[in-house]
Amino acid sequence: MPTSPPSDEPLLSIDRLVTAFHTQAGRVPAVDGVSLSVAKGRTLGLVGESGCGKSVTAMSILGLVASPGRIESGSIRLATDGEPVELVGMPERRLRQIRGGKVGMIFQEPMTSLNPVFTIGDQVAEAVRLHRRVSRAEARARALEMLRLVRIGDPEQRIDEYPHQLSGGMRQRVMIAMALACEPSLVIADEPTTALDVTIQAQILELLSDLRQRLGTAILLITHDLGVVAETCDDVAVMYAGKIVEQASADELFANPLHPYTIGLLAARPESARSGAGQRLTTIPGAVPPPQHFPSGCRFHPRCSYLKEPRCSAEMPELREITPGHFVRCHEAGQLEASC
Amino acid sequence: MTSDEPSNESRPPCQQAARGFWSEAWRRFRSRKLSMAALGFVLFLVLVATFAPAIAGTKPVICRYKGTIYVPCLAYFDRTLEPVIFAKDKFRGTYPANLAEKDPESWAIWPLVFQDPYRSVRDNEWPGEPANPARDQGAPSSRNLFGTDQYGVDVFAKMVHGTTVALLVGFVSMGLAGTIGITIGATAGYCGGWVDMLASRLIEVVMCIPTLVLILALVAFVDKPSIWKTMAIIGLTGWTGIARLARAEFLRLRSSEFVMAARAAGAGPLRIMARHILPNALAPVLVPITFGIASAILIESSLSFLGFGPPPPSVSWGSLLNDARSNLQMWWLVVFPGVAIFLTVLSYNLVGEGLQEATDPRLREARK
Repeated sequence: MPTSPPSDEPLLSIDRLVTAFHTQAGRVPAVDGVSLSVAKGRTLGLVGESGCGKSVTAMSILGLVASPGRIESGSIRLATDGEPVELVGMPERRLRQIRGGKVGMIFQEPMTSLNPVFTIGDQVAEAVRLHRRVSRAEARARALEMLRLVRIGDPEQRIDEYPHQLSGGMRQRVMIAMALACEPSLVIADEPTTALDVTIQAQILELLSDLRQRLGTAILLITHDLGVVAETCDDVAVMYAGKIVEQASADELFANPLHPYTIGLLAARPESARSGAGQRLTTIPGAVPPPQHFPSGCRFHPRCSYLKEPRCSAEMPELREITPGHFVRCHEAGQLEASC
Repeated sequence: MTSDEPSNESRPPCQQAARGFWSEAWRRFRSRKLSMAALGFVLFLVLVATFAPAIAGTKPVICRYKGTIYVPCLAYFDRTLEPVIFAKDKFRGTYPANLAEKDPESWAIWPLVFQDPYRSVRDNEWPGEPANPARDQGAPSSRNLFGTDQYGVDVFAKMVHGTTVALLVGFVSMGLAGTIGITIGATAGYCGGWVDMLASRLIEVVMCIPTLVLILALVAFVDKPSIWKTMAIIGLTGWTGIARLARAEFLRLRSSEFVMAARAAGAGPLRIMARHILPNALAPVLVPITFGIASAILIESSLSFLGFGPPPPSVSWGSLLNDARSNLQMWWLVVFPGVAIFLTVLSYNLVGEGLQEATDPRLREARK
């Protein structure tokens, strides 16, 4: 597991962020009071099932939440040149300098995230030229350097190829090259390996952690795959139904999960110690409720196997620090038996 | 482990050479013989229009007169380009005899066909040749390939010089329509919301205007009708189909992942529209433009046929048809321009269809 010296000064700090969509069905809070922080050069894994608000959190950071949605309250502060600036409410023109310049983004679908009509060299060079005043030749040289950095074989030839000539793993490398082209201090990777097959996944993850160490870039890794988190992350935040339910260092979380949802997620992994060969996989019954139908009280209570009525369905638990650095949003946290 | 990339990840075997979207589309277009023939015909028309004064005319292509080289045939493009010396020496537009008479040393290279699109050739104007037959006597012959009209003007020369109008009408009006249509459609599709609402209603309103009637009204209104004004009107009313397609494409591509990636990289809306979406949306939009050229040529012909075409000095295929209206026994006045219009419109439609086949992603996938 990669380690890097912990830094006190957060690079990105999100405080009580609320992002809601206003649809005909009413207000839908996809992100409901999320607080997070990513330290310089560290990797934070943001984990949760589909539909729990991970991607909306990422889009909120870049100010790219699509139209019926908007950031309603909270703050997102990014340290740029040591000076923290507020991203919520920042004018579009300045946000554009942040996007790509200070915060890079890697998307889930490498097959469709590259523009089909331009060569990959053009696309990486464009990412450079959007933020730096360089000539075409310099941008191309930088693109070549980036392609080499993300370990694309034969970059001198590849630079003039079109996305459809590359495989999924190669395209994801190009996406990484684009995201890192302007040396951002933070990279948001939204499920960067979900669309790739397992062997390529491992290569991409290794590339990401290697680049992080080499360039000192912090990474916010969004994933539903705890295996990916175990391999790459320093810290983990588990999200459920628009809220953070547990937050700790990766070592602590895997060794000592405290929230029933986290316990369930860990138990549901195929490689989980509890489900040995020949045994059925454990699952968490039910699915993440859609934001317009969030239950009262603790949002996980209808699926929780440690349910203690009436408190759990009546009262939303607070995020409490149980042991130093380990936060949990559960009434029963610390009193649960760690076995199930 | 990954320091040297394993080659199996790198290259799908089906693609060897670097091929962009357009070279791929061109390859598919080329395989359609009919579309290629049509494209060939259009290029042929472009050549005819460009070299019209060298194909049919009564002014030398190049001549040497009193020690200087002149290019009098340029006068067919613009009357002011005719060298002043010929007017001073009282040529009165008749070159062969005057050249020989006033400077025995002179020489000239003549157009392929010695016929003028604007007037009848006089008796002995070209040494040893009689005047053009007029009225209904001018059936096609070896001297007048497509016959002559009731005033004795050569139809072949008229048609060669009318090619310019036919092509210009198509390109200029659709260039205008394309610019307006893509701009409005792109803005509507990309911005969405009330902008889209407004633009869509505008498209619907313009769509409801019958072009021909509007043009007839405007021609009656405008003091000096000219071919340029006709083109402008066709362009200003013909952009709706293009705008609708552009809107649909921009709407579809706006939420595509690569546009999201471009936004996340810090690109602004104008840049995304022009550089990221437009090249992807261009292929489907080119198709209605091609069909639009065909219909613009038809509209111009209809206008000329109705007598609302460009005023007399300029010739167009449609105005030839208009002449034929009162002289129906002169079949050559109907057949040749009619066939020319038909072939040109057919060609543009075939080119458009080929373009559609070559660029339509669904058809492309089906071929694979």
